Amino acid sequence: MDLISLIILLAKILIIMFGVLVLGAAMAVLAERRVSAFIQERLGPNRVGPGGIIQPFADVVKLVMKEDIVPVQANRFIHDMAPIISISVALSTFAIIPFGNSIELFGRQIKLIIADVDIGILYLLALTSIGVYGVSLAGWSSNNKYSLLGGLRSSAQLISYELSMGLSLIGVLMISSTLRLDRIVLLQTEYFWGIIPKWNIFLQPLGFITFVIAAFAETNRLPFDLPEAEPELVGGYHTEYTGMKFGLFFLAEYANVIASSAVTVTLFLGGWHLPYVDQLGISPFILSLLQILTFLVKVILLVLFFIVVRWTIPRFRYDQLMHIGWKVMLPVAIANFLITGLIMLFR
Amino acid sequence: MIKITVDGRELEVDPTLTIIQAAAQNGIEIPHFCWHPKLTVSGNCRMCLVEIEKMPKLVISCATQVADGMVIKTKSEKVVKARNAVMEFLLINHPLDCPICDEAGECKLQDYTYKYSTGYSRFQEDKVHKPKRIELGPNIILDVERCILCSRCIRFSEEIAHQKVLTFTERGTHVVLTTFPGTQLDNPYAMNVVDICPVGALTNRDFRFKARVWEMSSTESICIGCARGCNTNVWVRNNEILRLTPRDNEEVNSSWMCDEGRVHSFKFVSSENRLNGPMIRKDGILVDVGWDEAISKVVSELHTYRKHEIAGISSPYSTNEDNYIFARFFKEVIGSKSFGFLPHTIPGADDDLLIRADKTPNSLGASLLRIPGENESSGIDHILKGISSGTIKVLYVLEDNIAADPRIAEILTNLEMLIVHSSTKNETTIRADVVLSASTFAEKYGTYTNFTGYVQRVRPAVAMIEQERAPDGMAMSRWDKFAARNDSWGKGNKRDARSSWRILAAIASAMGVKMKYASSEEVFKELVERVPAFKGLSYSKIGTHGAPIKKEFIKVSKP
Amino acid sequence: MKTYGPIIRKKDLTLLQKSYIPEILKGLRMTIGQMFKPTFTSQFPEERFKPEPSFRGRPVLVTEQGVERCVACGLCARVCPSLAIEVQAGETELMKERYPVKFEINMLRCIFCGFCEEVCPEEAIIMSNDYLLVFSSQEEALFGKERLLKSTEELKERLEFLRNHR
Repeated sequence: MDLISLIILLAKILIIMFGVLVLGAAMAVLAERRVSAFIQERLGPNRVGPGGIIQPFADVVKLVMKEDIVPVQANRFIHDMAPIISISVALSTFAIIPFGNSIELFGRQIKLIIADVDIGILYLLALTSIGVYGVSLAGWSSNNKYSLLGGLRSSAQLISYELSMGLSLIGVLMISSTLRLDRIVLLQTEYFWGIIPKWNIFLQPLGFITFVIAAFAETNRLPFDLPEAEPELVGGYHTEYTGMKFGLFFLAEYANVIASSAVTVTLFLGGWHLPYVDQLGISPFILSLLQILTFLVKVILLVLFFIVVRWTIPRFRYDQLMHIGWKVMLPVAIANFLITGLIMLFR
Repeated sequence: MIKITVDGRELEVDPTLTIIQAAAQNGIEIPHFCWHPKLTVSGNCRMCLVEIEKMPKLVISCATQVADGMVIKTKSEKVVKARNAVMEFLLINHPLDCPICDEAGECKLQDYTYKYSTGYSRFQEDKVHKPKRIELGPNIILDVERCILCSRCIRFSEEIAHQKVLTFTERGTHVVLTTFPGTQLDNPYAMNVVDICPVGALTNRDFRFKARVWEMSSTESICIGCARGCNTNVWVRNNEILRLTPRDNEEVNSSWMCDEGRVHSFKFVSSENRLNGPMIRKDGILVDVGWDEAISKVVSELHTYRKHEIAGISSPYSTNEDNYIFARFFKEVIGSKSFGFLPHTIPGADDDLLIRADKTPNSLGASLLRIPGENESSGIDHILKGISSGTIKVLYVLEDNIAADPRIAEILTNLEMLIVHSSTKNETTIRADVVLSASTFAEKYGTYTNFTGYVQRVRPAVAMIEQERAPDGMAMSRWDKFAARNDSWGKGNKRDARSSWRILAAIASAMGVKMKYASSEEVFKELVERVPAFKGLSYSKIGTHGAPIKKEFIKVSKP
Repeated sequence: MKTYGPIIRKKDLTLLQKSYIPEILKGLRMTIGQMFKPTFTSQFPEERFKPEPSFRGRPVLVTEQGVERCVACGLCARVCPSLAIEVQAGETELMKERYPVKFEINMLRCIFCGFCEEVCPEEAIIMSNDYLLVFSSQEEALFGKERLLKSTEELKERLEFLRNHR
């Protein structure tokens, strides 16, 4: 690897980090607050900056200024580590997501993906498994019954839903017969009968639904936010967190939402593919920009979907959660890839 | 002994008693306004009406003697109705100014209105208006409108205080309590009429509008104004004494106390003159220092002088505990026999009720603890002579303003070192080299022995800087209970002072004689063991009403 | 152990209903539709809302012709559940004899319950419509007489309300 490609890689990492963490997560927080406000016929934060756009940064400043309180009996090292694990896992996901095909800059063909790995999906699943640690360690190290219950719930929940998440992906993998995410996206740029884009959502509707539901569970978003259920557990695993450590958990949640959206877009919604435009013969550079834009718009729409769902559906009971996870999601996901297999066999 | 029945209860009572007395002895309260156990019966309020079987009409229980076989009903329908009627009549002309009235909260009329009145009045005309804010005497203000004409005050001043100046004039609803022209209610016990007044007609000028009754905490204590040691309640709000009221004790003060004690005996506790922490003379000026520095200064000074150069003056104002530790300190730590106390007697000031010529609360106690008085050898004369001749160079004074006497003040200039325990700044502390701020009777546990040999306890009512009300078992008002650190009404003015025995014990320990007491009760326990006069006494035995020491000791030590 | 009877259901759910998805979509339509309705928020510091007379703002002392009605009876201080009120009485030459030398409400303690207003025998302390209470220190939250006194004209609406509804 030469120096220039290293610089390019670093630039990509920085842009993604900045884009996701600072702009993405912060704007997601703002979007959540304002969307929820509009749903409840309120205005939401609209004072800091035009339309309240700087509000999340003001919040971050506030969180940084706050005193960091660690409970006396807490395991200090793990207590400090847990939010870092959470946020770094959430951010690492973006390494394998192709946010465009490739772009020609300064005479170089640059692939719009940070790590073009062969086993993209496995890496994804591995990361989500590590994500559990952040939450459950936070719950355990706080030495607080509410935190511990929150941590326990989240590990149980994540393990249950990871299974159906993995299984719902198998259908996609079988169709595309690859683990590379950029390859999966490329396969989706084709058309059925030259009209309908060959997005996986049309090939795998059942897989899409199970995957999205599992994604909600994995991100601890509302119908599945039992780990931090306020009425029962005060704040769940982050009860004992203050200041920017709490802020990291908060950002990690939204980074996870964006990551899940990005993964869903990549796997099921054609990634950066903007249908029909590639046939118009626009210059490749503008096309690349359009593709990045397409990817962003798709992700933003999905994030908004996440937010609206949160303010629509009430929380499940714990038994309902387990029931859905094991008795509905798992059989449906298995059925999905069995059917896929049968169709592939007899076609 | 005869048998009577009250409300179905059979009682055996003394035949000389009235019904209300017999009932009170057996814990049955018959409501009353004009009757007072210490005064003659006048029977004019009609509140104590009771029904007696075979009597055609209701009778007033305060003036009816019990008879064998009497069956008395205090709660029958007839009685209740009669009480309602009496209350309605009393309230016809009584102004509804409880919010302004100082008596509210401890008012008999108010209490009985809740208990025995229907709360309804048929009277629709205008109330009779009478003069308000009349100065009945130097300390008493009268509001005639509130008066319910029970005549307790008239009887008190005639029978107890022997000053016949009060009377009723006019007629019917226009009756007015007043003094005879050209006289005023100014006898030395006059303010007791404020206590016995069942309503707020007579109010204490000193305490007027200072606080509501329910805002204060009350602590059982005694008055230290003279050798009588009248039992009192000390009423405190926001760590400041606002008033003293007498407490019943047949052995000491019956139900009364003198105006002097009531108004003046506690003022020094929260006066601006109070010392706040110990002081040392540095370059000719007294400067505030910490306790450790003051104590080590005393220790080093006492070490530099020989024992016959040191003398001590203990105090009849101090408690038995303080005097005992002072005596021990001088005998065991310094090894000097030159210590005594200065009596403060105004010759001929005795009267036949309460006031004593001896203006100190504990001169008998001090004598019993074998601290020589004025005329005894090695006593005060000996010390004063020593000071003027220069053989005594260090004087240690315990809570007594000896320099108030100009003759003594003059001698004090001969001293090289004057160490003073005092609670206020006075003539002696001005001349002192070391001033140790001592807590007052209202800030500590301790005992005083009055002139009849009655040992009585005081309890802290005002908190010092090292005290917290709740953990130290002090009386708490609602305000004290709930005050937070930032509440202006809860902080009060806490002063830095310590009990004298504690200061002395600390100095003794620093000088190598171990004196370790956790509380003044421990000091008293040791005192009881070592001083024969106090044999058999303890804090719990003294309790709230005191306990006597044996008579023979009083005769021996009182010349 | 409590036993439950058989679960009674009016009719069994269809598979579609069980899948919950149509209901979620209905819910989403509802919430998204809600987003485009007008909001109720008022822009506070610029737009001030004028409370009704029944509103319980901060307690104030009523003055009539420059003299406070209060006679410092201390009932408000006694009834105050959060011990916010401190009254020190003094003697005055006026008819009412007593007046508050010091009347202090700790607005950090006050919970706006209105008990003081209810208990006051002189209608001297009433709840105003002032709800703007901002302090930058604990001392600033101690409202003395100078900040509590308000004339009857200023408090007309509340006084009228009290007369009609109590």
